[in-house]
Amino acid sequence: MTRRRLIQILLVALVLAYPLVVAGSPVWARLGALVLLAAIGASAWNIVGGYAGQVSVGHSVFFGIGAYSAVVTYTQLGLPPIAGAPIGMALSVLVAAVIGVPTLKLSGHYFSMATIAVAELVRVLSSTSEFLGGAQGLGGPPVPRSVLDLSFISATPYYYIFLAVLAGLLWLTHAIEHGRMGFYLRAIKDSERAARSLGVAAGRYKLYAYMLSAAFTALAGSLYLTMFGFVDPESGFGILISVKMVVMAALGGAGQLFGPLVGALILVPLEELSNSYLGGQGAGLTFVVYGAIILIIARFLPSGLLSLLERRRSAASRAAKTVDGHAD
Amino acid sequence: MVDGMVGATRRALAAVAALAAFGLGVSAQAQQVVKIGAVYPLSGNSASTGNYAKMAFEMGADIINNGNPELAKVMPLAKGGGLPGLKGAKIQMVIADNQGTPAAGQNQTLRLITEEKVAAVICCYQSGITLTASAVAERYGIPFLNAESVAANLTERGFKWFFRTTPVAADFAKAYSTFLNEQKAAGRKVDSIAIVHENTEYGNSVSSVLADAFAKANLPVTQKIAYSANSTDVQPQVLQLKEKNPDVVIFISYTSDAILYAKTMKELNWKPAILIADDGGFNDPAFVKAMGSVTEGLISRSVFASGKPGSVAAILDDLYKKKTGGDGLDDVSARVLQAFFVMAEAINNAGSTDPAKIRDALRAVELKPEQLVAGYDGVKFDDKGQNVQASTLITQMRNGNYVSVWPKARATHELVLPYKGW
Repeated sequence: MTRRRLIQILLVALVLAYPLVVAGSPVWARLGALVLLAAIGASAWNIVGGYAGQVSVGHSVFFGIGAYSAVVTYTQLGLPPIAGAPIGMALSVLVAAVIGVPTLKLSGHYFSMATIAVAELVRVLSSTSEFLGGAQGLGGPPVPRSVLDLSFISATPYYYIFLAVLAGLLWLTHAIEHGRMGFYLRAIKDSERAARSLGVAAGRYKLYAYMLSAAFTALAGSLYLTMFGFVDPESGFGILISVKMVVMAALGGAGQLFGPLVGALILVPLEELSNSYLGGQGAGLTFVVYGAIILIIARFLPSGLLSLLERRRSAASRAAKTVDGHAD
Repeated sequence: MVDGMVGATRRALAAVAALAAFGLGVSAQAQQVVKIGAVYPLSGNSASTGNYAKMAFEMGADIINNGNPELAKVMPLAKGGGLPGLKGAKIQMVIADNQGTPAAGQNQTLRLITEEKVAAVICCYQSGITLTASAVAERYGIPFLNAESVAANLTERGFKWFFRTTPVAADFAKAYSTFLNEQKAAGRKVDSIAIVHENTEYGNSVSSVLADAFAKANLPVTQKIAYSANSTDVQPQVLQLKEKNPDVVIFISYTSDAILYAKTMKELNWKPAILIADDGGFNDPAFVKAMGSVTEGLISRSVFASGKPGSVAAILDDLYKKKTGGDGLDDVSARVLQAFFVMAEAINNAGSTDPAKIRDALRAVELKPEQLVAGYDGVKFDDKGQNVQASTLITQMRNGNYVSVWPKARATHELVLPYKGW
């Protein structure tokens, strides 16, 4: 147990010190921030997609609402984009309720399909809206007016902002996981019919999970905008945004607290590094390598990378038990 | 065991030595190389365009590094042996993939600036990506040249390191209105103009820019027809045109609908005296191959027309055909190549890879039309970094190919009106 504690402390120290470790390289510092940002999105998805087992492939709706709320707060009101984050979160909760009530009644693939349809609809609508900048998109403040614009040349401030948000989100998820709602969600995931027969208000809890997930996905969108300073229909509402959230959570381990983080830790560097070293050839090699690695993980570790750890731990405890048995 | 360890140590030492030698080699070479970064869509929706741009960059660098005797007669930098202003330093293009996303565009620009230490960046095709990528270059103080993004706001941000060689949507509209007013002065009827446009962002925005420009130029737009580019039948739209019979029709279309319009107009046997296609689908090689023979006299725009033999544009067009295996320069690749030569010129004049000196040299660049591959009136940047002499050529379909007919100074062929069609 003490060794495990030590590893935990070391990991936390490493995460906190990462920007200092890579201080000489803006690219590596930025990579750290990108991993955390992706982990926020995927962890938010994990609440409804992982724990409650409702595989939404339309979470880009909320990501886009967050990003657009932030940029519109700037373009319309002249306020720092981050001031739009609470607006985006509130709007997303509302939209989640409107989408969720009819679609969460659908099960399995039908729910996934419905969420894709809604997301595509919103993407097309946004590209014809002049208020949202149409297909050309909208940009944030070109040069920072004050520190509140959160527009930094170094990635280190983003790293710590994202880290704080992710820590808050994971803490909340942890609390839900070990509370009444967590049991309900897992019961719904295993068998909704059985859960209902035991008196779980399945519809209501699925909706709660969906709304909570939407709020944090929107926050990820607002944070994305403050860092990149631009959003258009494709980078806000595009289906790839949703797919990446799903793939990251699934790769690390959906329905597990650190699953999405592990997924982001693998996928984001893989994507960035393969693009940096192979992208310039212009043969689309990046995506071939990227896809192949996803395929290999999916083939050999279908329940995510964290399952590897679980497997080792259970093997170790089994071994320990046998030794105990002998001692007896 | 011991043997193995000794072996490993020896191998490690050898590796370190090799690395050190490699590192020395690189730094010794570094003085003779100027790195220019380019971030283009090499994958994603616009991958085809991006890869043509990549070939244009590679060809441009090859011309400056290794020379081309024919081109050297009209272009001093094409003598070979690198940049004379930097004691013969060679240009090395570092090309990265923006994957068609603003995020990747920004990440790669950061990498080129901080890790590859490029002296300048040419970027990014899509307007949204140019917006995010140029923000990084601005913060790091690296000259950033845009070759082809037309969003008006890019030069309105107060940036000090941003330059743009391409004309923007308003310049195209101005070219059309000047052209039409010249036709009017020459005695042609230009009393009614119809604008036919596909109904998403592209068609809507271009048509409103055109309508504004025409209103200012006293040209009467009498009919506006919006349609869906996915439609499989455009008879209703052509019949509407036939009924009103306008003097001039302007199409803003994608490829498949452009082909459909050409076919339907022939079937219904109706044609206006002047038929204009605003680039887009009508300039797609697929359209030119399929419909070139039945759209004789169709007018379009392009910044590129091969021009007279022996001109910069014609020589480069031939070289590019060799490079790509048959495809000549077009509206986008010519703009990319032009931006590359402007940057090479500026770095050469700066005589240094110091970013501030390159920026000052860009501000001082002044190029004449005959020195250009793109059909601009010249290259000269204003305080915002916009090339104030950016303009477009008007082209006309002749025997299945577009040739330049306007402005007269750079036309290879006489304009022939009315529209002949089939």
